[in-house]
Amino acid sequence: MNDNVIVVEDLVKYFDGRCVLDGINLKVPRGCIYGLLGRNGSGKTTIIRILLGLEPPTRGRTFLLDAASTELSAELHSRVGYVAEGHNLIQNYRVGRLIKLCKDLSLQWNDEFFNHLIETFRLPADRRVKELSIGMRAQLNLALAMAIDPELLIFDDPTLGLDTVARRQFLELAIELIQQQGRTILFCSHILGDVERIADKIGILAAGKLVVDCPLEELKERVKKLRVIFPESAPPNLYLTEIINQQIQGREMVITVANWNKQKQTVLETFKPSSCTEIPMSLEDIFIECTNPNPVLITG
Amino acid sequence: MYALIKREIQDHIAYFVGAAIFSAVFIVISVSLTHSKGTEDPSIFAIGLGTPVATVVILGFCAMGANQMYTDKNRKISAFLSTLAVSRSRILLARIITGILAILTLLVPLAVTAVVLSHLSNPPIPMYPGMVLETFTISFLMAFACYCLGLLTGWNSSKITPTLGGIVLTCILVPLIFVKGFGVHIVVILVLFIIASLLRAWHTFMTTSL
Repeated sequence: MNDNVIVVEDLVKYFDGRCVLDGINLKVPRGCIYGLLGRNGSGKTTIIRILLGLEPPTRGRTFLLDAASTELSAELHSRVGYVAEGHNLIQNYRVGRLIKLCKDLSLQWNDEFFNHLIETFRLPADRRVKELSIGMRAQLNLALAMAIDPELLIFDDPTLGLDTVARRQFLELAIELIQQQGRTILFCSHILGDVERIADKIGILAAGKLVVDCPLEELKERVKKLRVIFPESAPPNLYLTEIINQQIQGREMVITVANWNKQKQTVLETFKPSSCTEIPMSLEDIFIECTNPNPVLITG
Repeated sequence: MYALIKREIQDHIAYFVGAAIFSAVFIVISVSLTHSKGTEDPSIFAIGLGTPVATVVILGFCAMGANQMYTDKNRKISAFLSTLAVSRSRILLARIITGILAILTLLVPLAVTAVVLSHLSNPPIPMYPGMVLETFTISFLMAFACYCLGLLTGWNSSKITPTLGGIVLTCILVPLIFVKGFGVHIVVILVLFIIASLLRAWHTFMTTSL
């Protein structure tokens, strides 16, 4: 058995001649919570849809739980819980009917846990799905995905449309799930604070490429934002590689560098700066720097 | 599979109700024709009634197949179902079985009535041995061919294609059956048409993005 629950190999996807994914390679190990980030239209949902066999790839291969995505069996689907962006449930069904259908089609169903979720979320069984608020639809989708006790959970922007309380409930639930052994989560979100809170590995998509793929702590170590003050005006070029962003104003230079190491520090010191202080970066700061038009690769 | 078939029947119950009503109306007409003492030729009456009814049946089953696929595509039903413990092939198979059940809802009561009436009294039109079975087979194949065409054309975001497809098929099939009559030729043509439509619908559904 492979230790990687998700494997993406040289994935390329074109939509109407436009390249959305350009040679993506990605591995998500068992038990990992992988936060996949990217701007709108960067291809996060496309990767997930290709992984689930909902979308054919243009080139490349993807594997889910050791099986090719193009040949996923019903048994394998029963081990994967999916909360889709926009919560694509059957809109004209009543909640009760949708739950019954999902239960009938599932190979395993945790009634106790599901009922607990339904009670927590206070979902009305007699209303149609389309009559529910976006937040309630998200909760229903989440409850349905959790009820099958999945080995792999795929969340595509699951907290989109949820209020603060519901979002917190969701995250606490996710953390509870993390504590259950062997469960893997692929988590896409625009709310980077959520991802930062639960993910232990981060992938960032920009311009069709996976520009970041490494553990969260390692990412924070490797991307440095420095405020450097020079005795005279700042030099226009520091001759450092992998500069993500550089802003000069008189004697001050604010520079963001990927894969920061001692060598780069030595090069910087040859310019004899008066001071060099590190500006702390949140995941959101790193995300903004990494999704600039000329992204630098940061892989673990 | 049972849950999928049940879902399809519940979602398209109108077609089953329609088929049952059509069947009941036909039975009433058949019984009254058998017991009528009028001087008119019943075969003329049967053809006069049969042509528009066949057209409606063809369009009805074509519409059913198209509606199943069109609703699925636009409401992203298969996209949702295939994230559960269900494969695409099972979804489509359940859909086809539902279509067959709807056709049988229309035809089986008619076939049973025809057999019973032919044994109870003199039929209003001349009958030859195996006529009921042959009529049933051709009618089934014709309805199923229409249904398959509906499946094929329904996987389309435009409403025009399925509608035009149904009308074109009606224009071809009804005259074809009247010209060729019931026989092996028409069975072969319909079976080939069904195989081609099903293969194409299957391939489209299995490879397209949901």
